[in-house]
Amino acid sequence: MTVRSVEVELGVGAALPRARRRGFFERHQSRIRALGSIVVVFALWELIGRFVITNRLFFVPLSSVFASAGDLWARGELQLHVRTSFLEFALGFGAAALAGIALGAAMAVRRALRDCLDPWVAFLYATPTVALAPLFILWFKLGIESKVAVILLVSIFPILLNTLTGIEGTDRHLIEAARSFGARPMQIFAKVMLPSALPVIVTGLRLGLARGLVGVVVAELFGAKAGLGYLILYSAQTFDMAALFAGVLILALAGVVSSEALKALERRLAPWRFVEVER
Amino acid sequence: MTAKLELRGVSKWFETRSGDVVEALRGVTFDVHAGEFVSVVGASGCGKTTLLRLVDGLLAPSRGEVLLDGRPIAGPGLDRALVFQLDALFPWRTVLDNVLFGLEVQGRLGEEARRAAGELLRFVGLGGFERAYPHELSGGMRQRTNLARALAVDPEVLLMDEPFASLDAQTREIMQAELLRIWNARRKTVLFITHQIDEAIYLSDRVVVLTRRPGQVGDVLAVDLPRPRRLDVKRTPAFGALVDRVWKRIETEVRESVGVPA
Repeated sequence: MTVRSVEVELGVGAALPRARRRGFFERHQSRIRALGSIVVVFALWELIGRFVITNRLFFVPLSSVFASAGDLWARGELQLHVRTSFLEFALGFGAAALAGIALGAAMAVRRALRDCLDPWVAFLYATPTVALAPLFILWFKLGIESKVAVILLVSIFPILLNTLTGIEGTDRHLIEAARSFGARPMQIFAKVMLPSALPVIVTGLRLGLARGLVGVVVAELFGAKAGLGYLILYSAQTFDMAALFAGVLILALAGVVSSEALKALERRLAPWRFVEVER
Repeated sequence: MTAKLELRGVSKWFETRSGDVVEALRGVTFDVHAGEFVSVVGASGCGKTTLLRLVDGLLAPSRGEVLLDGRPIAGPGLDRALVFQLDALFPWRTVLDNVLFGLEVQGRLGEEARRAAGELLRFVGLGGFERAYPHELSGGMRQRTNLARALAVDPEVLLMDEPFASLDAQTREIMQAELLRIWNARRKTVLFITHQIDEAIYLSDRVVVLTRRPGQVGDVLAVDLPRPRRLDVKRTPAFGALVDRVWKRIETEVRESVGVPA
């Protein structure tokens, strides 16, 4: 930004012909297309639900989904389900983030620890850990603990592995520069490795978040008394398609919003990776 | 004049993964006086960069010793600062915070330090760019930042590792003249590594020629061109004669390394 203002002061910009100001539609082209696509698909959903698949046991129009969500809200049920799932997710994902970053960082700087944990990380990462959900229900009963355990287990690995590779990928020259200024190992870790790895860690959080959301639903499917996964399961068993779709849509919305928020965070943390390319 | 920096019979070898021993430097001996500008030139692979890392204390010699003010160097210290090649700025720090890095890790950060750093940035021609990030700067400006970062810790000896190697030819010329202006004002002792003969001669009081693999001192020549030097000194016969002398010393090795015998 500063660079540009200097050019203007020097009069470089002034000599150039003024660029044609692009119109509103040109400037927001991709956003308008994305929005249009959503509107069209939702409209198709409504029309198919009303006129093509009229059997309410298989499909319902979008308007019925909203109506059902409103109904559940009025009875106070929706709030309970959202609150339950959110709490499970917050605890499980929060624990995964803390433990994943701490373990990943420790493995990056302590060779011995890494050698010991490597096979287990590889083994557990490759295992579809949601398959362990029934086991956790047996161990921790139907309460919140079993869900938190499932979410923690499915979402920790991308966070841990990204932290590990992010720290290991720190530019050797930057570490040497810090050493040359007399930085101690802890300072190199805090002032060079961690900031350098931060964008990669946030990417790991984003990947873990998506897996964690799946974890919420799967954990609740295997046994729960409330939650969005429970709502979906219960609605399916009672053939209440509208409530089922309401649960799915809320989960989808939560996924999109949180993932976009983390993407924005990545861009803020590492602006040098997103240098605007001239079009 | 007394020797600020002394290398006495310095050898350095590395063991490769396969167990082979690679000798980078053999019996290198020369000194640098206080306030002197000395360059080390040599063909690529002659151990120049290893030499600089030994002086900075990032590496330890396999044999021989490196002395600063008569005392052996044990590791990186506040009395020396290394100016790296282009890519060693912290991309997540602003220009000002990059310059303050050395003081920060040494616990010398304060209002006074910030003010001095701002002044230093104006001195190297970066006034107004304190809040810019490295990726927003040109190559020449990044190298100025790099230089300012080293000068900020107020070292006695400035170690420069081919700092202008990745700049284009014109920018490099300007930066060489800038470096002399800054050196003239601050009078640091400078050990400058380069593979460019004309750069070494233009900048230095003395030039150390390193032969190739293992690197050994092939020649030391005094550059008696008067200071201050303008860039057009490079087109004088005296300058050309010095370039010739260095080139003749390393020509054979360069030819060997690229497979073009004389």
